[in-house]
Amino acid sequence: MSKNNIIIYGLILVFGIGAPFLFPAYKLQISILWILTILALTWDIQGGQMGYNSFGNILFFGIGMYVCSSVQIGMFFPLSEWTASGGEKTFLHTTSQYFEGFTYGLILAGIIPAIVAALIGYGILGLRGHYFAICTLGIGIAAGEIAGGIELIGAGQGMTVPPWPKGIGGTELRSQFFYYLCFLTVSITFLVIKWIYQTRFGLVLNAIRDNEDKAEAMGIHTMRYKIIGWVVSAFFLGIAGGLMGNMIGYIEPTEIAFAGSTYGVFMVLMAILGGKGTLWGPVIGAAVFHIFKEGFWTFFLGWQYVALGALIIVIVIFFPEGIMGWLREKYPHRFGEVVDEADRTAQVELT
Amino acid sequence: MRNFKLSIALLSGLLLVFSSLAFAKVEGDTITLGAAVSLTGKYSTNGKNTKNGYELAIKRINEMGGVKVGGKSYKFKIVYYDDESNGGRAAQLAERLIKQDGIKYMLGPYSSGITKAIAPVTEENKIPMVEANGASRSLFTKGYKYLFAVLSAANQYLEVAIDLAVERNGGKGVRIAMAFEQDAFSQDVKIGVVEAAKRTGSEIVIDDNLPKELNDMAATLAKVKALKPDVLVVSGHTKGALTAIRQLADMRVNVPMLAMTHCDAGKLSKQHGEKAEYALCAAQWHKSLTYKDNFFGNGMDYDRDYTAEYGSPPPYQSAESSAALLVWKDAFERANSFDTEKVRDALAKTNMQTFYGNIKFSDTGQNIAKPMVLFQVRCDGGKCTNKVVAPTKWASTKIVHPIPSWSQR
Repeated sequence: MSKNNIIIYGLILVFGIGAPFLFPAYKLQISILWILTILALTWDIQGGQMGYNSFGNILFFGIGMYVCSSVQIGMFFPLSEWTASGGEKTFLHTTSQYFEGFTYGLILAGIIPAIVAALIGYGILGLRGHYFAICTLGIGIAAGEIAGGIELIGAGQGMTVPPWPKGIGGTELRSQFFYYLCFLTVSITFLVIKWIYQTRFGLVLNAIRDNEDKAEAMGIHTMRYKIIGWVVSAFFLGIAGGLMGNMIGYIEPTEIAFAGSTYGVFMVLMAILGGKGTLWGPVIGAAVFHIFKEGFWTFFLGWQYVALGALIIVIVIFFPEGIMGWLREKYPHRFGEVVDEADRTAQVELT
Repeated sequence: MRNFKLSIALLSGLLLVFSSLAFAKVEGDTITLGAAVSLTGKYSTNGKNTKNGYELAIKRINEMGGVKVGGKSYKFKIVYYDDESNGGRAAQLAERLIKQDGIKYMLGPYSSGITKAIAPVTEENKIPMVEANGASRSLFTKGYKYLFAVLSAANQYLEVAIDLAVERNGGKGVRIAMAFEQDAFSQDVKIGVVEAAKRTGSEIVIDDNLPKELNDMAATLAKVKALKPDVLVVSGHTKGALTAIRQLADMRVNVPMLAMTHCDAGKLSKQHGEKAEYALCAAQWHKSLTYKDNFFGNGMDYDRDYTAEYGSPPPYQSAESSAALLVWKDAFERANSFDTEKVRDALAKTNMQTFYGNIKFSDTGQNIAKPMVLFQVRCDGGKCTNKVVAPTKWASTKIVHPIPSWSQR
């Protein structure tokens, strides 16, 4: 690891750990930044590295959210009574019940979406290009509508997540707890993805993006790799969903869980803004996007989506390769690319 | 090095954004309330109505001497955010209002779903919220202590209509067709209708769930045409009401009674003219009701002042939002303090009349002093108005039932 890298990781670590104390009022927003980073990072496994633009990754986020809180509730109380419209009874988790439920919930929130990804992936990862994109888009939308019809999880009414136990600490402790969990999750996600990209697996993903038929011809079982890639995405997305549901405290099928029109779009946007197909791109994209959104949107009361539209146009025109892509083009040396100046000028003259 | 500089730039950007100053809840002679309302997205129309209601009340209260606490007069001010008609966003904004902007007193957003998303946040932070647009019954069964709603619960919306239909049927049960949007509010309205059906021995012949962002309900209406129910019940916010009227007319579906929610805000009679005639609409408020207070006078006065300010008559969403501010003022003055706990206790003891209706909260924060009203759209030579037909105590007109078939209209 080079000296620069150590400084960067160190700074991020210091910021990550120190933020709740430096900016106590902004814990929730920084927690959401970490969640957004997970969304962008996991999307980029398909969209960037593998060349499969998935618009349905929100599916795993939503499933994770529902699975986590269903487990949290269902382990101790009848789920149908909890979500029953009106909910005449009040159930309260004890402190130990809360954390026990949350632990199992979060684990399953990772595993179940991963299994779903493997099953669906087996079915649809044979599709390519636009067909895959449209298919995933449909799956994402359908999931919200289906969840909106399942009475057990509250249907269109949505479901409330168990509240933080009364016994220990107040809201301060709660937001710190979730903050550090989010930071831990994003760190693990980042490291796992970084490791994946360094292995042969990462090369295979890129081979699939660059020329899937050739990769196949070289004896790579591309389908297997595509599925595993999606499973990895789904696993971390599911956990992110479980965390998000608990942080917000209320789950609603189409706006919070399977929020295709917000988080579903944001994850693609962030990855592209930062530079898809790079490790750091989604991270930078998420940070820039979130700061833009939180910092400036409130000043455009009612016009924020127009501002977002303008941002997208700016990205597409000036940074078609994203921030990382732009930097790479401008400072190729920093990325370990050697440019033969004479050859480059010759090329430019040719075109 | 480039990466390094970039991260420094990003970090300092973060710092800049996060270091914007938080302001206090009571500063100088201003009491600041916080509200996340829907200015964009599917609830933007009603979000705007909500905001207008808040603004009109603030203006009026401030003009008339403001709020008197401890012998000093204070002015109201509201910090708004746009929740984009999205519950998740609203919950974040509520947290932002409380944690970053230092808001200690909240006003509600528009819609039950979004109120449900915000309530856990205000509750956890022990911040009292007076809300005027979250009617879902489940809001009042969670044991919330800091939530106060000035409006009647959602399940009461269309119960009246079923009772009316049964009454017109000589006390015998009727055949009900219903179509409800998949959202917290409409699903609660549905509970009320289902309960009323059980109580009156009525039969539900069509039970459709409609998607959000309702633009088409032709499938449901085709069934209505085939099964000929006695009453068709539709609830899907403003879009649902507009869609139902448009397609009922297009498909020439005859049904003896049509009961809906949100016809008032949908300006049905304005947008669809005579096509909307005879629709029954459940409403929290109507201008012809005779409640009154010192700030707005009675419903007619409110209607006149609101129209002068915003150029269109007030839907009930605006009226109830204005009422929320009157409740806040009253509570502050009775508490004679800015302590959130004292103000909360004062809110819980509210018992007042406003132009919008009587307000008295149950232990769960629900307004139990005000009934729903049902009005019917009636047209006279191209000009359509809403006439109150139920409950009979406030009724200004007799209901037309059954609705004449399209061939006779």
